[in-house]
Amino acid sequence: MMKSFRGGVHPLPGLHQGKPLTDSKPVKPYVSEMVCIPLNMHIAAAPSKPIVKKGDRVLMGQVIAEAVGPRGIPVHASVSGTVKEVGNVQQLGARTSPCITIENDFQDEWVELHGLGNVENCDASAIIPAIQAAGICGMGGAGFPTHAKLTLPEGAKVDTIILNGAECETYLNADHRLMLENPVRVVDGLRAAMRATGVENGYIAIEDNKRDAIAAVTKAATGRKGVHVVTLKAKYPQGAEKQIIKAVTGREVPSGGLPMNAGCIVMNVGTAAAVAQAVIDGRPLVERITTVTGRVREPSNLLLRVGTIFLDAIGACGGYTVEEPGKIIAGGTMTGICAPNETISVTKTTGGIVVLNKQEATSMEESPCIRCSRCVEVCPMHLNPYKLKNLCDMNDLETARKNNIMDCILCSSCSYICPSRRWIMSSIKNAREIIAAQQKKGV
Amino acid sequence: MNIQWIHVVYALLALGGLGAVFGLVLDIADKKFAVEVDERVTRVRAACAGANCGACGYPGCDGFAAAVVKGDAPVNGCTAGGAKTAAAIAEIMGVSAGSSEPRVARLLCQGAVGIAKERYHYDGYKSCQMASQMVGGPKMCPYSCIGLGDCMDVCKFDAIRIENGIAVFDENKCVACGMCEKTCPRHAIAVVPKDATVLVRCQNSDIGRPAVEACTHACIACKRCEKTCQYDAIHVSNGFASIDTSKCTRCGECAKVCPRGCITVIGGQVEVA
Repeated sequence: MMKSFRGGVHPLPGLHQGKPLTDSKPVKPYVSEMVCIPLNMHIAAAPSKPIVKKGDRVLMGQVIAEAVGPRGIPVHASVSGTVKEVGNVQQLGARTSPCITIENDFQDEWVELHGLGNVENCDASAIIPAIQAAGICGMGGAGFPTHAKLTLPEGAKVDTIILNGAECETYLNADHRLMLENPVRVVDGLRAAMRATGVENGYIAIEDNKRDAIAAVTKAATGRKGVHVVTLKAKYPQGAEKQIIKAVTGREVPSGGLPMNAGCIVMNVGTAAAVAQAVIDGRPLVERITTVTGRVREPSNLLLRVGTIFLDAIGACGGYTVEEPGKIIAGGTMTGICAPNETISVTKTTGGIVVLNKQEATSMEESPCIRCSRCVEVCPMHLNPYKLKNLCDMNDLETARKNNIMDCILCSSCSYICPSRRWIMSSIKNAREIIAAQQKKGV
Repeated sequence: MNIQWIHVVYALLALGGLGAVFGLVLDIADKKFAVEVDERVTRVRAACAGANCGACGYPGCDGFAAAVVKGDAPVNGCTAGGAKTAAAIAEIMGVSAGSSEPRVARLLCQGAVGIAKERYHYDGYKSCQMASQMVGGPKMCPYSCIGLGDCMDVCKFDAIRIENGIAVFDENKCVACGMCEKTCPRHAIAVVPKDATVLVRCQNSDIGRPAVEACTHACIACKRCEKTCQYDAIHVSNGFASIDTSKCTRCGECAKVCPRGCITVIGGQVEVA
């Protein structure tokens, strides 16, 4: 039987899912003339510290910014060439991000790499340092530093590592193509993570709408110790951390807890492939697969260097099919962030660039709640979204907090299903930000 | 009809007797279990502005009144009520109100539509808090008023409206409770003395080109105002000028030399008593 969780939505295949645009397109490498690499691609207290200056020549894979703090990761040059600028550029955050701009000389000259060799025979204690040195953070979207995720605190009981190949997000096919074209790397990455943490069970969870990927990964996993492939029901948000744990193991992460509290570590398949490269070849994370799709001439899956400007990536797909795009979304349409213009950089976490036309991008007008309770039915976290929305709009954040607003995973299933087109997720997200700010201030 | 009057008398006696007994019990209970309420609390409560705005820092007007009588809160703590309320409460408490100069909330930004450049067109959830988190905010200036009305929503006195993309304050209605100041995600609102008529209405910390590109009225930290001021009242720090209201004589010379028009004089010169 296919495994799943309670709730969730099924984005309409023709209208909203957008997967068929790129699911059969092989990954094409693309290199741009210039890259602008942000130094805060991962979640950490501080961005990495630049160690190159304007005019320096850098090689591919050379460390250009070093890690700050225990959760910090270094940033590597994704092309060889000359540093054009070290300064602040507006990326997707609230404030400008420190960035290093490098002009590509198209030599692709690598620094010398030192791998650990085979993932099965290498020194297990050397794996986590190798992951940190390669600058790997979660490539599914959140960007949590992978070495920090795999470094278990004292007394933590973790017995399962789940590789998240669900890719439930609309439009994106980056993980799908990776599993299809490079399944061995994915399995190697899982084995490396299992050996580093001493965990015996590894699962690769894939939704049933990617039959070809399931077959490829199953073949690659045959004969590998402790590696299982799990078929999940295609549903959004199947790839959310807590939902995939529930579907694969049947365990629930306690309210306010981490996957670790349910004895699990969840990693994206893209991250696993990057881990395999870091361990086997010592190769840092400098490129990733990004689906560029929507209203572009040739929707494709591109292998992009970290720091590629959106405009270059869109240009590599033949440009827009509309005169002026309505919205450019970094990520999928359910959880992605709207980019204000094309000058944003592709980071380690950008799984997709979706271009929408004006009509698709227009926000719907809200109507009153009709108490149909569909949002309650679809909420994967068993919350009452309509009630939370009302509480947020009335500014009653204390009651909202008692109703577990902080457990919301911001999947926006409620907003998607709402027949009154209410902006449920926006309200909740806004209230959560205010609550988080209050907690920070200690009110 | 033959009425047996004696039955009426029985009923009267029974009910009257019950009434008398209950009355006695209640009277004893009232005396015995009386809760002593300082009548000043009720009077202070009545003297408060009564908006339950929470600007005093106590849970509503009741909490404030209790704190005043207890001696925890100052008698002029009700900012919403202003000088009159302070005097009334001081009279109840039998102390002097002290001087509380009238204060008012003002916006330290002039970035209306057409003045501050637009970074992108925002049509999302109507909340400054939300918009300020999105790619540096809808206006090019990351320090500007966003103009989606978070302050308007929290103002209990209907003193704020959004006009032309920025907040506009009605100083006759404003009671300086400071809720807007606390709410603004950009910290672009300041509660200042009402007679502080000369104000630097920009907090852009960028220097030079980024500031010029963001807004036609952005402070570029050129320090001309600092050089002009004879009273050592205006200083540039953190990339923008700010005025020390205790030293400022409201002469307005700094506003005349400002090349960016970010210093404004409200209502001309005022008489300082």
